[in-house]
Amino acid sequence: MTAVTAEVRNTAVKRRRHPAAHGEAGFGFAMIGLAVLFVAVFTAIPIVASLGLSFFSWDVISTPEFVGLENYQRLFNDGPVLKSFGVTLGMAVAIVVLQLTIGLALAVLVNQRRRVWMRTAFRTAFYLPLLASTAAVSIFMGYLFDYKFGGVNYYLGLLGLPNVPWLTSGLGAATTIVLVAVWQQIGFTFVLFVASLMSVPTDVLEAAQIDGAGPLRTLFRIKVPLISPTILFAAVVALINAMQLFDQPYIMTKGGPGTATTTVTISMYQKGFQNLQFGYGSSIAIVLLAVILIITGLQFLAARKLVFYQ
Amino acid sequence: MTGTHPAGGSLARRTLLKAGAGGLGLAALADLAACSNDSGGSSKSLKMLYFGEQAQATQLQNRLQPQISKLDPGITFEISAINGTDWNDFLAKVLTQIAAGTPPDIISVATEGLQLMASKELAIPLDDYVTKDLDALKEYFADIHPALVESMMYQGHLWELPDSFNAGNMFYSSTLFQRAGVVPPSENWTLQDFETAATKIAKFKGINAFGWVVRLWGSWTSFMYANNANLLEEGKYDGGDWLWSKAYAGDAAAAGRKGGWKWGAPTANSDATVEALNYMIELTKKGLSPSPDVGGGGTLQGLFASNRIGMSIGGGFWAGGLTNAGMKNGSFDVTMFPKWKSQRHLFGAGGYAIFKSSKKKDLAWEVLKLLVKPETFDLVFPGNVTTPGRKSLVTAARYAKTGPKHWSVFYDTLTKHPDTAPIPAPPYYNALATALNQRTTEAISSGNAKAALDGLQSDLEKAAGAG
Repeated sequence: MTAVTAEVRNTAVKRRRHPAAHGEAGFGFAMIGLAVLFVAVFTAIPIVASLGLSFFSWDVISTPEFVGLENYQRLFNDGPVLKSFGVTLGMAVAIVVLQLTIGLALAVLVNQRRRVWMRTAFRTAFYLPLLASTAAVSIFMGYLFDYKFGGVNYYLGLLGLPNVPWLTSGLGAATTIVLVAVWQQIGFTFVLFVASLMSVPTDVLEAAQIDGAGPLRTLFRIKVPLISPTILFAAVVALINAMQLFDQPYIMTKGGPGTATTTVTISMYQKGFQNLQFGYGSSIAIVLLAVILIITGLQFLAARKLVFYQ
Repeated sequence: MTGTHPAGGSLARRTLLKAGAGGLGLAALADLAACSNDSGGSSKSLKMLYFGEQAQATQLQNRLQPQISKLDPGITFEISAINGTDWNDFLAKVLTQIAAGTPPDIISVATEGLQLMASKELAIPLDDYVTKDLDALKEYFADIHPALVESMMYQGHLWELPDSFNAGNMFYSSTLFQRAGVVPPSENWTLQDFETAATKIAKFKGINAFGWVVRLWGSWTSFMYANNANLLEEGKYDGGDWLWSKAYAGDAAAAGRKGGWKWGAPTANSDATVEALNYMIELTKKGLSPSPDVGGGGTLQGLFASNRIGMSIGGGFWAGGLTNAGMKNGSFDVTMFPKWKSQRHLFGAGGYAIFKSSKKKDLAWEVLKLLVKPETFDLVFPGNVTTPGRKSLVTAARYAKTGPKHWSVFYDTLTKHPDTAPIPAPPYYNALATALNQRTTEAISSGNAKAALDGLQSDLEKAAGAG
């Protein structure tokens, strides 16, 4: 190809691209603008409004009263609300650990299956609970784990085992809610991990096999490091979700017994919408947001050492 | 009268939002809220809030519309349903709707929300309307027990016209009683009789003798009332003579009635209250009662209807409820709550109030009178799903299809037990209900009623202080 021909072709390309690129840019800006508008209306403004509201005492009906940092001072001296942060953190850690561990284990097992239809079938099966309404799942699980009349204890009884206070003891209720949350959310991490494992280069795996690495060594030394960005993403998303746990404990236990499963979002709902302390409820929301941001930040800091980017 | 609600609620909201955000977007939101605050439905509509499902509300709206049209042909009656597991849920959603700037003209509120609504002056006292129309209402007051009317009073004023109530009686499965060889209880049975019957019924595998729900109405609180205890100090507001001396002149049942129930300092950890909750824990330990659910009682009704529960606390609403759940007339019955230190029952009443923000108050008053007419009752509550507040409506014919056989117990609770009283529902009811639910489940889980009720006492003191 001569230099002249190449120049002509480049010029033609530039001429062809120019108006199209212009249109694409406009379309892109429009899409970004929509996204920004969506985030502003449904995320940023409510956050700013909550922040503003957190400096007021307001029962919806009476005149709002500016109280400065009083709601925050109250929060840090409110034993039950502080406890709800502890309950939430404990449950969130359990959920994230279980979700990642089980999700990865299932993904590895399914990934062994070479037949595509089996992988598809498993992916569908594990993802299905995520599509169900959390409220419906929680109501159903509430019946299933009922101490006296629930199906789980019925089958335990058939095996000669005593009834377990799934939802009527503090530890039992927290454990059950964690299990239900993990069961419902596992499809998300599972699908992510399956996709990520499929992207691990086969030549690397073959090289490891030739070097005599067993399945476990291959998993922990090759696969896990290679999919660590996905693991980080799954961990961050799972933690943010778990820190906002509401539906399952609210429907299955109403935060009980006592306050054993009262999460921060339940505390926030109770203070704001039930006790009509919208300012105080907002301050709880803002502190929860801060906690989530801090923990997520810590996750990213830890990721600098633990996550491997190819 | 208490309350600090300003006339210009919209300005307050605008001020709040501007102060909170200071941004253009929030100012716009505040303006939107301010604009919608005066709505209360369009000028051609009369809006009512209703606790239930929208399908039922729409049916009710359609049934009542012809009668509303007779009052004002140009008015469209709109009923918006608010769904929830209990009154706590309902009130939270109502207040959110008010905050959103869409208050109703008429609201149907039970005892649980009355003092909250009145203390915040969301509604208007009906005193002037009642006085003006007393001649026309004499027939109504002659037919409705003064205890129900008094329960709708607050600080000497009448805030609602009651139309229904439910007292905490004891329902029992006739089938299970027969199977266990237990003689059906008489009206004056005791707690010992109750426990003897429960012990016999509990011998059947998979069956629980006594089921209950964690909530304020008819929970372990029924035992608390029978033990002459309460969560709060009981008192009454002065006033009310404007009503009693005219509407109930010469009625012995109205003697000593005043200006509404005044709920005082918390007494949640008094000896008698602890004893009542302890009794429930003992029932659970003895295997006579399962761990209770929190909420509306749907599960309990289902279990009772399928003969897996021998006895449960219920009011007139269980007559229709159990029938709807598939129980045949004759397979269940009702009696008074068993006597402990007394045979005092608790009750909750329902009625209608006019919202302060309504621009059609006179018309709303006419609708209120319509809603408490005898012929309207079954339009509002088809299928015996509550107890009529009017005694003339509590008849054998009403319960012929649904049962129970001893239906007269429902109204007799008011007439035979004059000490029967409303549930403790002060203006800070929502906080009380939340704390009660949490501390009750804590007590059942830990088996330590005293510690849980010490906690409840502290919760209520804080709530009362904040309220």
